Amino acid sequence: MIQMGNNVFKDTWLITKRNIITTLRNPFSFIPNLMISAFFLLVYEGGLSGISQLPTFEGANYLAFILPVSIVSAAIGGAGGAGQGIVKDIENGFFSRLLLTPASRLAIVLGPIIAGMLQLFVQTLFILVIAYLLGLESATGFGGILFVILIAVGWGLAFAGYSAGVALRTKNAQAAQAGTFIFFPLIFLSTTFVPYELIEAQWLKVAATINPTTYIFESMRTVLIDGWQFWDLMQGVFAILIACTITITFAAVSAKKAVSRG
Amino acid sequence: MNGTIKVKHLAKTFKKGNVKAVKDVSFEVNEGEFFAFLGPNGAGKSTVVQILTTLINPTGGEAFVAGCNVSKEPGKVRRHIGVALQETGVDPDLTGREMIELQAQIFGYPKQKAKERADELLKIVQLEESSVRRIGNYSGGMRRRLDLALTLVHEPKILFLDEPTTGLDPSNRKAIWKELERLNKENGTTVFLTTQYLEEADSLADRISIINDGLIVATGTPKELKAQIGNDLISLTFTKQEDVTRAKGALESELDMADLIVQEGHLNIYVNDGNKQLLQIVRVLDQHDLKIETTNLSSPTLDDIFLKITNEPIKEGSDSNG
Repeated sequence: MIQMGNNVFKDTWLITKRNIITTLRNPFSFIPNLMISAFFLLVYEGGLSGISQLPTFEGANYLAFILPVSIVSAAIGGAGGAGQGIVKDIENGFFSRLLLTPASRLAIVLGPIIAGMLQLFVQTLFILVIAYLLGLESATGFGGILFVILIAVGWGLAFAGYSAGVALRTKNAQAAQAGTFIFFPLIFLSTTFVPYELIEAQWLKVAATINPTTYIFESMRTVLIDGWQFWDLMQGVFAILIACTITITFAAVSAKKAVSRG
Repeated sequence: MNGTIKVKHLAKTFKKGNVKAVKDVSFEVNEGEFFAFLGPNGAGKSTVVQILTTLINPTGGEAFVAGCNVSKEPGKVRRHIGVALQETGVDPDLTGREMIELQAQIFGYPKQKAKERADELLKIVQLEESSVRRIGNYSGGMRRRLDLALTLVHEPKILFLDEPTTGLDPSNRKAIWKELERLNKENGTTVFLTTQYLEEADSLADRISIINDGLIVATGTPKELKAQIGNDLISLTFTKQEDVTRAKGALESELDMADLIVQEGHLNIYVNDGNKQLLQIVRVLDQHDLKIETTNLSSPTLDDIFLKITNEPIKEGSDSNG
């Protein structure tokens, strides 16, 4: 018998690779989400781009303004896949089979989350390519595009943590997917279609202020439209750090319970 | 490292509902032995398997698998055991070959060695031709055979099989039996098998323990267990159904017989010398004017032992969460 110490990095890679393979073999698990996000981008750009003529926009490109909405909605939908993948593994016994091996327990939970992140990365690239073809211009060039990808993946990680946590807690695929739906209102209770100054309803202004999605949108928009404005960008980074701390802790506690031998 | 299992006063109470699934279980399995664990639904079989395979911790007693304490050294235990649970643990989106190679790499095989191991195992479980097909397209029997291959990847000294043939057709069941027998006899692999198929335990196992309601109620070789209830079984039916109870009373009082069970209209009598005692029985019943419709003399099966010990017939083919 070959005996080697189990390495958390190697185990994580093996399990992540397997999750990537299964995702690629089920293209319909991610294509509809991607199509809807691209559809949002086209429709919003086609239907609402006229409002960028308003003085508050200061001549900014509406495509760059609306792009973060499309990216974040793709991130939410895609992140639900991490949780669903875990539930599928629990249901078909693969999760138990992994628990019966010496594989690192951390790797068993991290694998699907990292695979989900990579999926998000590719999705974000796809949407960026469409946006580029539609005429997207970045005030900060390639560096700004990289920052947008980083923010998208980071925000997706926060959702994936939540989705994985719900999956490990409920062991129910519908619950894992439905869990991410509660994040959809966050997209719209924000500076989704117009800048903060143009929001009419006072309650929506309050909601937008306390909604972390606002800071994600604004950091992406700042880098695409205004340039490298450190504190504006940092607000998005902080929002991600706080959200990830909460959801990844939730996922870790749920995972500990799921793999515990009580 | 060795291929033994030692279980001392094992107990497991689930917090949820305060269910005492395992009350007090002790037994030992020797290296290279084929050991069967029998019990009805909810008896505690699967809970014992889950403890021994490190999936759950016991709430009392201790267990050593391959010389390692299952509660304190779960990682070491996992390296030495192969486990096939009631549900096959396979990913329907991978091919059979990918699944084996992944399992081998998790157990520390380098990529090339993992490929070679997959070649060997696919041949053993006769899945070479289907190795590049996705598991989602496999039949139940093929999945079960692949599951067995996965348990063998790291050449474990001890195999745990929790009802491995439940739901399989007879030919697939026989194929699994043949492979288990080969592993046990040729490789000296210790096998711990839970089953509801008494025929399975009877034909494969060196020793059997019967668990009921969280307690071991009998342990021995199939032959020893059968001897506990007599060498022969006489089964009688009567022209009038109601005569069964009268006949039982008559035989108990006149022939001083104790091992009589009424089951589904039959009177089952466990005796040591069936041929000789059948004549006496017929004579006594005739004296009481009890008309026998059919007689049957046979050797008792493990079903009979099970029924006698647990007062519960085996429910074959049903799912068990015990």
